[in-house]
Amino acid sequence: MLIVGAGCAGMRAAIEAFDAGADVALLSKIHPVRSHSGAAEGGINAALGNASEDDPEKHAFDTVKGSDYLGDQDAIQVLCDEAPGDVYQLEHWGAVFSRTEDGRIAQRPFGAAGEPRTAYAADITGHVLVHVLYEQVMKRDIPTYEEYFAWQLVINDDRCQGVIAWDLLNGGLKTIGAKTVILATGGAGRLYVGTTNAYACTGDGMTMALRAGVPLKDMEMMQFHPTTLAPTGILITEGTRGEGAYLLNSEGERFLKRYAPNAMELASRDVISRAEQTEIDEGRGVDGNVLLDMRHLGAEKIIERLHGTRELAMTYAGVDPIQEPIPVRPGAHYHMGGVDTDLDGRTELEGLYAAGECACVSVHGANRLGGNALMETITYGKKAGRHAADWALTHTTIEVPEAVEADAERDLKVLLDRTDGERPWSIRNELAETMHENFGVFRREDQMREQGEIVSGLRERYERVVVDDKGDVFNNDLTQALELGFLLELAQCMVVCGLARKESRGAHARPYDYPDRDDENYLKHTLVRWVAEAPVLDWKPVTMTKWKPMERTY
Amino acid sequence: MDVALKIWRYDPDSGDRELRDYELEAPEWACLLDVLDLIKDQQDGTLAYRKSCRMMICGSCGMRMDGRAVLACKERMLPIVERGHVPVISAMGNMPIVKDLVVDMDPFWNKIRRMKPWLEPGYDEVLERERIVSQQEMNVIQKEALCIMCGCCVSECNSMESDPEFFGPAALAKGFRFVGDTRDQASVERLEDYNDEHGIWDCTRCYFCNERCPKGVDPRDAIAKLGAESVKEGIDRDMGAKHAKWFVKSAETTGWLRETELVPKTQGIVSAVKQTKFAIGLARRGKVPPPVPPHVAADVGEARALHQLVREQGREGALGIVQGERALARIEHTDAGGARRDAPEVTPREEPPKAEG
Amino acid sequence: MKVAYYKGCLASLSAKELDTSTQALAPMLGLELDELESVTCCGAGDIHEAEPDYYLHLNARILAYGAATGAETLMTICNVCTLNLRQANFQLLNDSELRARVNTNLATVGVPPYEDDIEVKHLLWLIVEDDGAERLRQVAHKGLKGLKIAPFYGCQILRPSKLLGFEDPDRPWSLEAIIDACGGEAIDYPAKIKCCGFPIIQAREDVAMGELIQPIEQASEAGADAMVTPCPLCHLSLDAWQSKLKATTGRDFKMPILHLSQLVGVAAGLEESELKFKRHVVPVDPMLEKLEV
Repeated sequence: MLIVGAGCAGMRAAIEAFDAGADVALLSKIHPVRSHSGAAEGGINAALGNASEDDPEKHAFDTVKGSDYLGDQDAIQVLCDEAPGDVYQLEHWGAVFSRTEDGRIAQRPFGAAGEPRTAYAADITGHVLVHVLYEQVMKRDIPTYEEYFAWQLVINDDRCQGVIAWDLLNGGLKTIGAKTVILATGGAGRLYVGTTNAYACTGDGMTMALRAGVPLKDMEMMQFHPTTLAPTGILITEGTRGEGAYLLNSEGERFLKRYAPNAMELASRDVISRAEQTEIDEGRGVDGNVLLDMRHLGAEKIIERLHGTRELAMTYAGVDPIQEPIPVRPGAHYHMGGVDTDLDGRTELEGLYAAGECACVSVHGANRLGGNALMETITYGKKAGRHAADWALTHTTIEVPEAVEADAERDLKVLLDRTDGERPWSIRNELAETMHENFGVFRREDQMREQGEIVSGLRERYERVVVDDKGDVFNNDLTQALELGFLLELAQCMVVCGLARKESRGAHARPYDYPDRDDENYLKHTLVRWVAEAPVLDWKPVTMTKWKPMERTY
Repeated sequence: MDVALKIWRYDPDSGDRELRDYELEAPEWACLLDVLDLIKDQQDGTLAYRKSCRMMICGSCGMRMDGRAVLACKERMLPIVERGHVPVISAMGNMPIVKDLVVDMDPFWNKIRRMKPWLEPGYDEVLERERIVSQQEMNVIQKEALCIMCGCCVSECNSMESDPEFFGPAALAKGFRFVGDTRDQASVERLEDYNDEHGIWDCTRCYFCNERCPKGVDPRDAIAKLGAESVKEGIDRDMGAKHAKWFVKSAETTGWLRETELVPKTQGIVSAVKQTKFAIGLARRGKVPPPVPPHVAADVGEARALHQLVREQGREGALGIVQGERALARIEHTDAGGARRDAPEVTPREEPPKAEG
Repeated sequence: MKVAYYKGCLASLSAKELDTSTQALAPMLGLELDELESVTCCGAGDIHEAEPDYYLHLNARILAYGAATGAETLMTICNVCTLNLRQANFQLLNDSELRARVNTNLATVGVPPYEDDIEVKHLLWLIVEDDGAERLRQVAHKGLKGLKIAPFYGCQILRPSKLLGFEDPDRPWSLEAIIDACGGEAIDYPAKIKCCGFPIIQAREDVAMGELIQPIEQASEAGADAMVTPCPLCHLSLDAWQSKLKATTGRDFKMPILHLSQLVGVAAGLEESELKFKRHVVPVDPMLEKLEV
């Protein structure tokens, strides 16, 4: 079995699959430790009960409410129940968590959580987890196709039977047959200018699944993280607010008292991003930002618990948070939507699984709680790994038809042979800028419609995109052009779903045309398929077990 | 702002290496990585380099600027432009070049794997909850846990340049991440392994790794911690360890280093005898101080007593180095430390990268 | 200016010429040396690596006795001593708990506690700081007559820069300024800031030779008449071990290596009885002959 993507979800799945006895390999376009999971900072949620009395039930409720009731409650229950055990497993493997006074895993308060349950390692939790997982991958000697760019899924006999990838180091398309394939390729923040995401986050797995006929769910739900640096979008962790930082406008006011008077800086991320955007739009911003003030935390605490944050602020914003507040603004951060899966990570297509950010189970619904993403990668990575391994161990055949490889070669040749046309960067920049403008924190009918046209136009221009580098060795000019192709199709899907959801829920905010949540008509997931080069919309009900939708205030 | 730089290109097909000039306009907030992106997008799509997070955490973009390894996403271009300097960009050192600024990191990863870099908890039973470990215990390895595996330290390692099989600063720092982790039960086996021929005692203490590390891991200090732990565990078969122990002996007996005896004490009598001709050459110049009468410093009894005293206080081994880290962490934001006095402009050297392999 | 003078091991023993030239030079530079007696080896990288807690205490003792002289500056003449003492000093100055513990231990064995702060500076910095190079021109009245001198910094006077901090570790200038002020011509070459290999010259001789060849070869090819270094350990490598390079390269470089105080001393007109060039393994005569002409 093959796992595409070697971040937390991919590596956790690989470890589980290996331990279950499967012949598993990882495939990644970058070295596993370069995966964007490593940029996660604040922490991983689990009801360990080390900082206060807590239990999975509370965690589940907070998650359901946080999702603005769009999350599937059975999936959420499973996540919260299994979370503590999965976090202990990471510690047993050696994860370097921060500790409480009595030597237990330390937990800090985080956005929209009723109890402090975000287990952390200073402000480099993602980095710590990526490394502990890679250590376990090295221990088991799990084969890894490093710097292989996955481009297409191999579909045969109504099953996914492998992946066609471009070998970045040596050049050439390589086909790898596998009985099961798990997509763990992360999100697509690169759709936006001002994103916390790495250059590698281009939605590869989501689009590969889409092109294979698999539906994507809740694609309009893109989370904007409240504290990112301008202009790049580099992430300043929610952990700063967990440790007590304030958000101020140009008047020095802690403006959240007007939007989320109880939770204040620890309200849900969508609430805070909207509050910030409103303040900025209404003229109370500072050069298009608001201010994150940590000075009152003191030098000791900042150096001990937020050392990485301080480094980032000094290098990229030119401010020392010990002395000055950091200017921040909302930035595209996390895709709640993704490949539609069940509770075992299975997609509609036999043999194809998805886990982590690229999947949508859905545990996050319309908005994700900070700290839940890392937890999802571990718990659902594990489950997908287990189920995919069991399937692979109980089925015997793999068959990759030659035609599939030949077709891919031909398509690639067309792209490589083209000598005159447009360079990808102009299309890419226009996409990112217009998505930021027309499909950002606040959305409107007319802007979304316009965005749909813009993306269609960009896709047409993409047909004439030109790659400068025709060589074999380390041709990331080619792979970057292919990434742009992935992004464009996702953008088209997102806009269609955004238009269809005529309400405001979670991260999808339409204050001008549909300012309220409409449970009667829209308590359901959007489901989009790719048919004849265009998105086709459908709907899927939300699974509710315990909690009925209520008014959502913080 | 107007940026100019030079890049050492390497074409794997022809084997040609060439220094090329580039000029472009970039925003004032641009880092080296942003400049490379602009060149690749708009001038030359064949320029090859690695990148991902652009926020100093993934470790992809290690490369050399003016002959010294940096993370491209960390180097702000504005100060360089304001100085009127044209930097020379090349691939990292000590690793074979694949193309342009991309190096083959396989040797690097092989050395990491050599360290057996996974926790050996030493038992099979399944614990219900987390192991109890204090924050102080975790702090012992907090710097080593910062390592993002970028390769900047390895690129500049003077020892590795001379001995390519040296495990190197990144691998050894990773090794200490486990030796210093109280949960790991294989410390002694690890130390035995790291005391091998190309291990701990190969380090030449040039401190280039500490200087280049973009994350503050201080690999040289990690190597010193491994040395301290080795000596604490009585692992002293390597000449390097014997050499180090003789300094301790000298300090507590005569105060000043007992130089002449250092040779046989480090190398053993047999090997020392082989150096006789060389030693005679030195002796003629008075460079071999007679061991007798010993050159004793005043009040050396205090030094001896101090040794007794500190040995009883339980900060042996790596803890003796870790205890100073809290103070050293403060340096970065006090006026006392790291003050730089500006140098007059020196012509940058345009070193071609070494041939790979 | 009165300074507490910590000469270190080599200047006491195999590199006596460093001590004699420093003591003779000091008054010319306006330095009054108060030599510390009740001190030990600073431990080099070795005690730091073998018994780091002992390393901290030995250096604290040196700092304490230095401070007890009433001087504000502790002067060193060796790269390694400079790094070791500065590192220990930073640890003590920036962590009051640690300082208290160390002082308690010092008191127990009869050493005065380290209370008044003292700053550790290498002679190199004392010479050039605050326009020192200009003052040096007066002192160096005999001059170097355009001799080509290759400066060799070595490692531990530059790195780690957060502990040493006198100059940019990648573009240092102090030795060049001194050579220039003394009337010489400073040679530039890449290996001037690389490692001479001394710390592993016994335990890993061939690795050290692979390092040592670089500065010697590059300086030689650049036409240097001599090299100068602020570290007696580098001096041992470059001078005493230079002959070993013949075995690996077949070349006899015959490159004279001077201590910093000797280079300035020559330019300032010190006598052989003070400079003690005859203690060098590689003869310095060829360079001296060029000066007489």
